[in-house]
Amino acid sequence: MATRESEHPSEFPERIAALDSLLDHRVRLAICVLLSRYDRLSFSRLKELTGETDGSLGAHLRKLEEAEYARVKKEFVGRKPTSWYALAPKGLAALAVHLGALTDLLSAAQG
Amino acid sequence: MSGTTNVRDDLGYVRDVVSRSERSVFPSGIAYLWAAIGLVGFSLIDFAPEQVPLFWTISSPVGFILSAWLGWRHAREAGQESRREGHAHMLHWGGLMAAIFLLYPLIAQGALQNKAIAQVILLFVTLGYFLAGVHLVPALKWAAVAMALGYVATITLDGFAWTVLGVLFAAGLVVSARAAGDGRGNARV
Repeated sequence: MATRESEHPSEFPERIAALDSLLDHRVRLAICVLLSRYDRLSFSRLKELTGETDGSLGAHLRKLEEAEYARVKKEFVGRKPTSWYALAPKGLAALAVHLGALTDLLSAAQG
Repeated sequence: MSGTTNVRDDLGYVRDVVSRSERSVFPSGIAYLWAAIGLVGFSLIDFAPEQVPLFWTISSPVGFILSAWLGWRHAREAGQESRREGHAHMLHWGGLMAAIFLLYPLIAQGALQNKAIAQVILLFVTLGYFLAGVHLVPALKWAAVAMALGYVATITLDGFAWTVLGVLFAAGLVVSARAAGDGRGNARV
């Protein structure tokens, strides 16, 4: 443990800087992790899984769309209009960087 | 340390959300379809053995295609689509069907005869359901247990052993379906 000087808390600011501010919110992080595991998820399914209200989830998804982290496609399933969300390549790359920074941060904190 | 505590809390939340998403991928319609096919197909061995090869040759591929369609429809209705999961199911069940069809040369050569043919196929299917229970849908282990009991019945019982197996097979699948739920908020694995 004594050799872990490179992971001293003095490097925390660097690691924190590597975190993606958009993915710093746990709901947006959860949405991106889910979208990285499945091809696409409907708004209703995301609402069921995250436990968020329509308004709150919609706001989080809009931010991800505006940053081009997620894409939306509207389709009818039976007679029901459904919004399907998928992770965009930019979102996948950002998620990988963010999770890497989180892992580093937690490892450094454990010393 | 409160910062890392928050990070841990957030990651715990993400883990819970992901874990919930993994619990609801089993369309009960597939279990009921194969419960009906198995009940009829196995009972036929006792009541009309000459019809058995024709029944299974038709019902296996038709059941496979119907299952794939039910799975696709369920994923759309549940709002959660995954090619990776669909691919895993196709490989698993397609591999099981291919293994069973590869028994035909052994049967044609006479290496497997009479009751042993059905028993070997039953062992293949039992193993297939058990491995599906381990890797794909945990609740399917119940169906594998029922099939293993049915296999014992085919060895120990003299009369209507295959009908007993058919009933056990169907009951095992119904129990599995109820244990797994239908992915829309019912009881889950």
